[in-house]
Amino acid sequence: MNTGQIISGAGHAGLIFWALFGGAFRDVPPPNEVTEVTAISADDFAALMAPEQSPEAVANVDTPEPPEAGEAPGMTSEADAVPETAQPEVTESSEPDTPPEVTEPDPPAQAEVSEEPPVMQPPQEDTAALVPDRSPDVRPREAPRVAPEPVAQPEPDVQIDDVDQQETAPDESAEPVEEDQEETARQEATTEIVTEADDPADAAPSRSLRPRPRPTRQAEAEPEPETQPQDDPQPAAQEPEQTETATQQSPEVDENAVENALAEALGGSDTQPDSTPSGPPLTTGEKEGLRVAVQQCWNVGSLSSEALATTVVVGVSMSEDGRPITASIKMLGSSGGSNSAAQQAFEAARRAIIRCGADGYKLPPEKYDQWRDIEMTFNPEKMRIK
Amino acid sequence: MRYVLSLLAALFMLAAPALAQDTAESDGPLRIEITEGVIEPLPYAVPSFVADTAAASEWADKISRVVASDLNGTGLFREIPAEAHIARISNFSSPVQFSDWKAINAQALITGAVRTEGSGRIVVSFRLYDVFAGQEMGQGLQLVGTEQGWRRIAHKVADQVYSRLTGEDPYFDSRVVFVSEDGPKDARQKRLAIMDYDGANVTYLTDNSSLVLAPRFSPQGDQVLYTSYESGFPRIYVLNVETVGRRVLESQDGTMSFAPRFAPDGQTVVYSLTRGGNTDLYSMQIGSSQSTRLTNAPSIETAPSFSPDGSRMVFESDRSGTPQLYIMPAGGGEAQRISFGQGRYGTPVWSPRGDLIAFTKQSKGRFHIGVMRTDGSEERLLTASFLDEGPTWAPNGRVIMFSRETQGAQGSTSLYSVDITGRNLKQVPTPSGASDPSWSPLQK
Repeated sequence: MNTGQIISGAGHAGLIFWALFGGAFRDVPPPNEVTEVTAISADDFAALMAPEQSPEAVANVDTPEPPEAGEAPGMTSEADAVPETAQPEVTESSEPDTPPEVTEPDPPAQAEVSEEPPVMQPPQEDTAALVPDRSPDVRPREAPRVAPEPVAQPEPDVQIDDVDQQETAPDESAEPVEEDQEETARQEATTEIVTEADDPADAAPSRSLRPRPRPTRQAEAEPEPETQPQDDPQPAAQEPEQTETATQQSPEVDENAVENALAEALGGSDTQPDSTPSGPPLTTGEKEGLRVAVQQCWNVGSLSSEALATTVVVGVSMSEDGRPITASIKMLGSSGGSNSAAQQAFEAARRAIIRCGADGYKLPPEKYDQWRDIEMTFNPEKMRIK
Repeated sequence: MRYVLSLLAALFMLAAPALAQDTAESDGPLRIEITEGVIEPLPYAVPSFVADTAAASEWADKISRVVASDLNGTGLFREIPAEAHIARISNFSSPVQFSDWKAINAQALITGAVRTEGSGRIVVSFRLYDVFAGQEMGQGLQLVGTEQGWRRIAHKVADQVYSRLTGEDPYFDSRVVFVSEDGPKDARQKRLAIMDYDGANVTYLTDNSSLVLAPRFSPQGDQVLYTSYESGFPRIYVLNVETVGRRVLESQDGTMSFAPRFAPDGQTVVYSLTRGGNTDLYSMQIGSSQSTRLTNAPSIETAPSFSPDGSRMVFESDRSGTPQLYIMPAGGGEAQRISFGQGRYGTPVWSPRGDLIAFTKQSKGRFHIGVMRTDGSEERLLTASFLDEGPTWAPNGRVIMFSRETQGAQGSTSLYSVDITGRNLKQVPTPSGASDPSWSPLQK
């Protein structure tokens, strides 16, 4: 048995001993309290009850106060004195511990009270003779609080505030203080989205700390030699070598990529065909704007039922000012109708493109490479006459 | 960890196609799809045709006005008035200044020239231009006719323009046979009449001594079938349009024959025959007058109309309790009901295109002209009035003409036409009341 248990057992034993023998469970009655009682007579009792009527007398004293308050509309500055004079009288009369004063009749005090009411009757005609001096409409504006003294009416453009402030204006002669501006940069972007699936699995640099500057250019350069005609077999034989080296992910490859990027930036565009659009793609809003502009002129009201069931794909080349090149408009394909119906549908589409593009479509000039050539599919399914 | 990797893999699989599509869309030209356009009349200009001779100036102006009237009447075109023209066509062979016509938003331009030759012949040449494309649409044509037939020449020109611009078959150079009506309703006099499709050149084929009903053109447009009460009972007659000669086609004693219609071959006629209080469909060879019974039911079968290929016919029957539309083989057989809407259906007519059936429908106290597919689907009501009935198709199957009667004892009957889209409802001018129209095929 350890020491803790011994101490605990001793403590508990002592507590039990004190409970049993210390009187903790005894019901000991409290000692009787003795109070001295004094008998008084009926006269004394009446004398004691008499001071309770004093508040009624005080109430009579307060009666002049309401007329004083009634003068407030006429003179705003005097209204503040009314509560100050009334409050002390109320507090003095509210003291119940002055039976002598109550029991003693105080005619003078009552006489003073009776004299004041005539003075405080502004509605009387005699005193109203002074009223014509001021307009009955003159009265203070409504305000949440009463100012201690009359204040002048503020300027119309001045806003009400707790503190008076003078209007300030920027000093044109002073030199502008430039705020500190943190350096920012736009989020990185590219001309197309390249997913991980497009990159080789081992394309990530393993040793070089600097990322590859133009990995997509390397990836796009691969299939081009395969699609090129056989007229120039020499470059086609060299491209696979570049592909192999590009997938080795060595630091030398990164250096080549940097060199290629520099060469392109300096005007070397041999590796990029002219037909591939470059620059940022058109946003959805820009495409929608073009679509809405064309469809405003796409009049299918005079088309035959068969032509209304024919979808045509129309190709058009655009000039840089957004105007369609009329001679370039051609039908690339059709579906759903005969050749004659397709021809009718194409002519309606051509009219739409030319008419609404007469003043140039609103397309971003900086993205001209993206909308130099446009393929428009005219699908009249929603306009079809069943 | 495995869960996170699986989640990333799933997200990648979902996003990969979209990203690949974006990548694909970035290649090649910009592609957009136009799915909604506008439906409005095509603005065009037709300056007065150039008269090569002084004698031709009268015809030049008249012909150009009829061409414009035909095109405007379709509701598909809107003529730009001559007052708004910037340029003048003074030489038919001179090049067209398209910029002048673009400025007034003329999307099509019709130019023409007229000259007269000896023996009352008129030669009309015309060209059609796509103004905004800056090129001629098709080849220019030259038509030759007589001075008396100048309106037909104009209709031919308009037909060519209409077909080139819309792709539809033409229908302006056609005629309509109808029942001309005079007098109040309780004492109305009726006679057969024929006119151009636009109400011009009205000619009466019969007198008003007997009641005539339901004339029907032959497929060649040279004959007309109709029902006459000349004998006191309804009888079917066939009338030659050119000679106005006629003969009775069906005259069995104790019977009533009515509602005739030609088969597409022009040699067979189907009609209704009432015998013993029962009405059935019969067919007859015109040459041999031999009839064949097509239906045998206690109900009323009437108003037959052949399909364009002549293999089937649509007719009206009340075998289900109310008049409805049925289709059966041309030689008779099992009929299939195609109308199931509320109301009564009658006077069905098969479209020349073969895709639609026009009909009269009575529903909720009003009459309608409507169309439906040959299987009864896609029913569309085109008109609504106190009394619309008797539809007939234009030769191209794009326009329907019918008769409309106004309410009251003094109500009149007139002809109306409407596009199958339900637009361009308009009255066909006639010198008097008119009903029961039948549109002829395109004239040769």
